[in-house]
Amino acid sequence: MKTGIFICHCGHNIKHTVDVKRLSEFFGKLPNVVVSQDYPFVCSEPGQDLISESIEKYGLDRVIVASCTPSLHGEMFKDVLRKKDLNPFLLRRVSIREHCSWVGDDIEENTEKAKRLILSGLYGVAHQVPLEEKMVEVNKTALVIGGGVSGLSAALFLSKMGMQVYLVEKEPQLGGVVREIRNVWPARTSGAKITGDMEKELRSRQNVEILTSSELTGFEGFFGNYEATLDTPAGERKIVIGGAVAAIGFAPFDPAIKPELQYGKDPRIVTTLDLERAGELALPENPRVAILHCIGSRDEQIGRPYCSRICCINALRVGEAIRERYADSYVESFYMDMRAHPRGAEEFFEDTQEKGVLFTRGNIGEIVPAPTGVLLKGEDTLLGETFEREFDLVVLSIGMSYPVDSQKLATLLKISLDKDRFFLEAHIKLRPFDTAVKGIFIAGSCSGPKDMEESINHGRASALKLYGLLNLGYAFVDPFISFVDPKRCSGCRMCEQACFSKAIKYDEEKKVVHVEEAACQGCGLCNATCPSSAISLRGYYDAILDDEISAFLEAI
Amino acid sequence: MVEQAATRVLTCIQCGKCTGSCPESGKTPFNVRMLVRKKQFQSAIDEALPWYCTSCGACTIRCPRDVKPSEVIIELRAKLVEDGDIPVALQKALENTFVQKNPWGRSRNKRADWAQKLDFEVPHVSETESKRLLFVCCIQAYDPRCMVIPVNVARLFNAGGLEFGILGEEEACCGNEIRRIGEAGLFEELEEENKAAFEEYGVKEIVTLSPHCMNVLKKEYGDMGIKVVHYTELLAPLVEEGAIKLPGSFGKKVIYHDPCFLGKQNGVFDEPRAILGAVPDLELLEFSRSREMSLCCEGGGGRMFFEVEATYQRNADVRVLDAVSRGAEIIATACPFCVMTLEDPATEKGLAVKELSEILTEVL
Repeated sequence: MKTGIFICHCGHNIKHTVDVKRLSEFFGKLPNVVVSQDYPFVCSEPGQDLISESIEKYGLDRVIVASCTPSLHGEMFKDVLRKKDLNPFLLRRVSIREHCSWVGDDIEENTEKAKRLILSGLYGVAHQVPLEEKMVEVNKTALVIGGGVSGLSAALFLSKMGMQVYLVEKEPQLGGVVREIRNVWPARTSGAKITGDMEKELRSRQNVEILTSSELTGFEGFFGNYEATLDTPAGERKIVIGGAVAAIGFAPFDPAIKPELQYGKDPRIVTTLDLERAGELALPENPRVAILHCIGSRDEQIGRPYCSRICCINALRVGEAIRERYADSYVESFYMDMRAHPRGAEEFFEDTQEKGVLFTRGNIGEIVPAPTGVLLKGEDTLLGETFEREFDLVVLSIGMSYPVDSQKLATLLKISLDKDRFFLEAHIKLRPFDTAVKGIFIAGSCSGPKDMEESINHGRASALKLYGLLNLGYAFVDPFISFVDPKRCSGCRMCEQACFSKAIKYDEEKKVVHVEEAACQGCGLCNATCPSSAISLRGYYDAILDDEISAFLEAI
Repeated sequence: MVEQAATRVLTCIQCGKCTGSCPESGKTPFNVRMLVRKKQFQSAIDEALPWYCTSCGACTIRCPRDVKPSEVIIELRAKLVEDGDIPVALQKALENTFVQKNPWGRSRNKRADWAQKLDFEVPHVSETESKRLLFVCCIQAYDPRCMVIPVNVARLFNAGGLEFGILGEEEACCGNEIRRIGEAGLFEELEEENKAAFEEYGVKEIVTLSPHCMNVLKKEYGDMGIKVVHYTELLAPLVEEGAIKLPGSFGKKVIYHDPCFLGKQNGVFDEPRAILGAVPDLELLEFSRSREMSLCCEGGGGRMFFEVEATYQRNADVRVLDAVSRGAEIIATACPFCVMTLEDPATEKGLAVKELSEILTEVL
């Protein structure tokens, strides 16, 4: 066995509190270690070259990289081995940065701990055998769930890139909430026009199938070969897809859960969305109109602590519309903080002020409908004076709540929700479109409040990411799957209960179980459950773990 | 220096929801948002201001940042109590509570005198099988106007076959108002004394007559493992299912006033209405502001024991005028504080104020 050990300084990150020289010297003296070297940045190109050259020069058959956490640069180091025709599973990463140098400042203790960790890696990797990465074919077919602006733009993009697309929408019509908006800012066109144009283009494409009044009811399989069950007006239908984009949007906040707003108790108290849907308003020629910001946003009492990002703009649109329609109107907008963040929105705010909308900094305490008008009780916090004012119309600028189906869909797709019950991205900065499940992406406001522009961009970006995966046409499946030694299996079937991916099958005749490889996700639950040690997980054999543990215990 | 306070005062965004919800801000010099602002910076305040708060809880229930402004007021008061900057009448109430375990300073051994008006014996809770305690409350134990309430409820429970007992003179003030006045030390003493009695006699359930007592026993005594309810929660099913028969007739227009500590702070809205709805021939009316929107009577938070400086139209007056405009003959409520504050202005306008149990007793 010829093992090469490469110990990274990570600049000063590791070197500062771990004696890397002492480590490389120590391991250089151990049997089976033919090269042991420390290097400033093993992840740099010269660092990678050092590994490649050593593999060639010494004929290495095991490689240990002691550096940062294995989740960082994981694939990159594996590729170094692949390029030298060395099986990537003969690489062992040891984290001496996150586990040693970053968590302690005693150089002696850190070095001692790093030594034990690398030794453990050395013992472990000795048992490792080449594992075969299974290549599977990927269906160039995508499922888009939700037909709002985000789903529409994702479907359009995927279709244009040549993927077969299924677009599933729960409602009878496409377009989502945007379709109902009369005057979209800053486009100054109707939402129906925007979504209508997108729908028209989508319908003209040959590789798109649109299923309205339909819902996803089942989701099985793995990346490249998911099987989705759909409940459609024509009955249940099963489709095979490579991956999916979830774009189920949001639920408009229902102010009825805040009793002090009296929503639903008086027709003069409406939401911004009610106003979009309303016909001619029964208002006097000089109406008094109040607009309330932050309804269902920035409110911890009702579990919506976040800013919904769209409601300040909606409030401005309402104010402007009323002022333009009724020259003698009195329009007062009550805000906590004005958040006109998109490009051009601050100017829009200013325009609205010039058009005569008055802005009062105060969160209205309560609303009391009276015969002569709807009474608002609040405080002008800038003056420090409370007021009671009557209005003919009160418009609640409502925020975005989690989509009603978020929990249901999260369960089906095995993806996570955040604390506010929106979908959770794999990484808030680095992987904002991905979920933890390969080939499942999220788009639009179902992963948190977004305006229309952001939703469209998010939809396209998720579609691009999915396209990138599907277009390869193949995928590697991790070889970490369980297998059963039938001689040791007693047929107790405890593993069958432990397995959540239903990969364990019981043979009634032979009275033993076996693992269905395609379904196994390599979690190790069966392995840990088996009382007869009859199940092993490839890459994580008991002997490896035993020896790794002994590396921590033995005297050096 | 800004002190890193244990409360959420630093997270306040000064939106004014509290002031807009406050039954005192606007009509008095009290501005709850401003006081929270000053607390953020530990700035000096006008010492008269914190005493306007009625502890109705609207600010704390609605605050979007969960700052709990009414608790900030209690913190401000605590400092004033510590420094002795406290209205004389409140000082007196605290002293009385310390000595006699009730804010009026009436003799502790007269706490069960109300029970003498009954034609049956009320047992000590230790002698009951159910270990169900009727927690009487200081006002209803001593105030001549309110002493009739425990008598009525005892009769109703008796009629419904509901076993209960009392602690008699071993009951101490619940401390709800004491804590809100800012005397945390005295509150803790009362809490410990009551808890010790509950434990000694193995109390399993506490039925309170006053929503103020229910609030503190249920939410501020910590987890005692004892079920705490307001008596209307027990009576409502008995009256509705006919376990308590109401053969009489009460052909009056009755308007129901939601007490803050029963309604908005503890979510008991339907039971009192269900009870009134079961009274034969009674026509139930609603205020223009009811349920979560109910206007505070200004009896809580220590306001029962002293008069604030400012002169202004009292909420009780506003409430009575609303009742008159709705055509009510009787204002019904389920809290002794509300009975006391509403009664004078109501009598002036020719309306009667009745606690729920009084109406029920009339038709029993």
